[in-house]
Amino acid sequence: MVVGELTQERDLIIIGGGPGGYTAAIRAAQLGKEVTLIEKEKLGGICLNRGCIPSKVISHVSNKFNDINQSPELGFKIENCSFDFSKTVEYKHKIITDLRKGIEALCKENHIEVIQGTASFLSADRIGVENGDQFDIYTCNSAIISTGCSTKNHELYDHKHVLDSRSLYELQEIPEQLILFGNDYIALEAAFSYQSLGSEVHLVIENDIFPGLDFAINKELFRQLKKAKIKLHKNLSFSSVELNKTHLSVAFDLKHGDKVTMEASYLYIQSPFRANIGELGIDRLGITCDEHGYIEIDKECRTSIPTIWAVGDVTGGKQLAVKAIRQGKVAAEAISGIPSEWSEAFIPTIIHSKPPIATIGLTEEEAKDQGYAVRTGQFNQARNGFAAITGNRDGFSKVVSNAENDVILGIHLYGSNAIELISTGILALEMAAREEDIKFPLFPHPSNNEGLLEAVEALVNQAIHQVPKKSKITSS
Amino acid sequence: MLEVKLHDIGEGMTEGEILHYFVKPGDQVQSDQPLVEVQTDKMTAELPSPGSGVIKEIIINPGATVTVGTTLLIIENDDKRANQQQVEATQSLPTNSNTRILAAPYTRKIAREHGIGLDDVKGTGPGGRIIDDDVYRFIKQKEKQTTIASQVLPSTESNQRKEAVPVKASSIPFKGRRKLIAKKMAQSLYTIPHVTHFEEIDMTELLTLVKELKQLEKPISVPAFFVKAITIALSDFPVFNAKLDEEKERIHLESEYNIGIATDSKDGLIVPVIHQANQKTIKDIHREMKSMIKKAQENSLTSKEISGGTFTISNVGPLGSIGATPIINYPETGLIAFHATKEKPAVVRGEIVIRSIMNISMSFDHRVADGATAVAFTNRFKEMIEYPNLLLLELV
Repeated sequence: MVVGELTQERDLIIIGGGPGGYTAAIRAAQLGKEVTLIEKEKLGGICLNRGCIPSKVISHVSNKFNDINQSPELGFKIENCSFDFSKTVEYKHKIITDLRKGIEALCKENHIEVIQGTASFLSADRIGVENGDQFDIYTCNSAIISTGCSTKNHELYDHKHVLDSRSLYELQEIPEQLILFGNDYIALEAAFSYQSLGSEVHLVIENDIFPGLDFAINKELFRQLKKAKIKLHKNLSFSSVELNKTHLSVAFDLKHGDKVTMEASYLYIQSPFRANIGELGIDRLGITCDEHGYIEIDKECRTSIPTIWAVGDVTGGKQLAVKAIRQGKVAAEAISGIPSEWSEAFIPTIIHSKPPIATIGLTEEEAKDQGYAVRTGQFNQARNGFAAITGNRDGFSKVVSNAENDVILGIHLYGSNAIELISTGILALEMAAREEDIKFPLFPHPSNNEGLLEAVEALVNQAIHQVPKKSKITSS
Repeated sequence: MLEVKLHDIGEGMTEGEILHYFVKPGDQVQSDQPLVEVQTDKMTAELPSPGSGVIKEIIINPGATVTVGTTLLIIENDDKRANQQQVEATQSLPTNSNTRILAAPYTRKIAREHGIGLDDVKGTGPGGRIIDDDVYRFIKQKEKQTTIASQVLPSTESNQRKEAVPVKASSIPFKGRRKLIAKKMAQSLYTIPHVTHFEEIDMTELLTLVKELKQLEKPISVPAFFVKAITIALSDFPVFNAKLDEEKERIHLESEYNIGIATDSKDGLIVPVIHQANQKTIKDIHREMKSMIKKAQENSLTSKEISGGTFTISNVGPLGSIGATPIINYPETGLIAFHATKEKPAVVRGEIVIRSIMNISMSFDHRVADGATAVAFTNRFKEMIEYPNLLLLELV
């Protein structure tokens, strides 16, 4: 390591080129900043290289696989249909590479300087970048930390057979048996994707529900898991795993102390995350972190040091790219003197299950807990014309509203195209929409959109394609 | 570790002078034990310990003036709960971005660009939604308040200007109590439709009585009689001992008669309060007023002594003046100012005689009461002052 005290001057330095970091870089460049982006691995971060994108490639391929298998009634007769997973792996690799090249090109076009290396703060305005034998020192007027997070308990994983959320989609083969221990969207997506591609999937959860989802979604989810022949094991906690040649022997504890052992070729274990701040040297600066080690920020993404900002997973909360992207823009704007802010009030929950789930706002239970006079409307996908055409009759739309002032509190979509449709719901909630605001507009016909419309109409028992509720006769 | 910070102990303070520490490093302290005495621009106060533990370090030396939020001393605490509280406090600090505000993102942007927090803005749109107009109205209102505050400023300023500022100075600092007075006055005038009416009171009998009492070596000041008479008049006209709650559409009649005494001090106006004056003798009221005024001049009033008032009097008479349009001590309903007492020719039973006459100005909230009631109220007050023997009838 050669340390020359030759410092190079920069304006804005961004550490970490994931969705938060590169978005911040581009927005800051748009606003006239001179931007330097430091990345120690690959641009695009976990999202592009090992998270959102690869998992959705697998999910997409598995959907295609399902479609092909279900098409005889449409007239297709497919003989000698074969499937080569190595092609899928190639395709995934190509998509990731293409998208990354896109980001690299955008950085170039926006005159963003990208430096390869590992950054650490020497003081609030001096950042050292180490890359092999080279160590350069930069000064900056402001800095954004967007270094993301990593799985805790890393000693558990060998990433060959015992997988975390990142190695789960780096397999070179379709698992013969896959055990998924987890109750979040990652476990659910993997369950449906790999099951569709031919794996025998065991989904093991510690309790008996999938947290954060409306009870109606939970109920339907259990039904869909059963229909997909995914074996759900409730009330088990992970105990140990042993590798015997190529097979794993995985032990789970029952609540009463007994043990259950399962055999599998691969095991995924859901684990909490920790902020990637170890190499940053921010403890020397005294940046305030919360009790879990995440960097604390205000609504403009500013840390406790006025010239240092932080965005994305490294700041804790819901660790989703959608938030990092927004925060990246906010930090860049705030640094450029534009009043800006982020809010986690309406962050959608998206699960690429089969069919997919997309929700925004409060569940019925949460709304009741918060003291609202709750009204709900639900409309089954089976009664939607477009769902009939496409053969996607499973699922429903559910709307939760405040009976006192008609304000929509939550929208829960379970069914074909739910993830594209939820944008209507997100917009509605951000705009503080009331029931009429969704009932008035013309929704395309025929389309899955009408499911949401009819769920809103169902709030007052006015959904057209729904059997009228039998009125209860009560004696007073 | 527990950091004890100077926090806002009320009345919108922004800074305070550290007078005296009751503890030294190494001392074991208990929760709520007084740690330090602080002097603000309105009062002196003791800051209690937020938890138990051992004093580790005193950071700010006595005599220093520091802003709210400054760490004064550090306690090595043995109290886990206190520690947790501290953690929670810092956690809640950075953002409350999870709370839902019923406003479209565009409206929120307007607010942001004007530096306005939507928590304070009342939504008038459908379903309580905050609409663009609500934000613009809020901005205008804020601007107006600042204008009124700056208009109020000069008229009450002249006194200070004389002594505090050398001739060449063209501005004086607008902060501390001066700023607080401005804020309160603007708030009152902006909210309350004021009406002021004047009355003339013959003080001759009362002055004779006060003179007699002095000869008996039981000196009682004239304002003590005013306070007593006010409480009696208020109990006959309780609408002036009230607070209007517009939101709940209620006029809340107070059960206590706590009379504020507007007092001049070198830092400006302050209003110590005689609590439950109706249950006190004139002698007690006299004694209490004397001590309060002294404390006001020494800046040693406690926060309790300047809060809870239900009606205010302002005795500007000793300084002079024949009339005023006083501003009500918001959120109270009425205020009476007493002006100079002068010997004047008066007509009594058809003859011109010399009497001691005082003018009073009574401001009241016209939302709560009407002129006729206010006049009836001052008439009742007037008769008790003109015929102090009437006060005897009110003895319990």
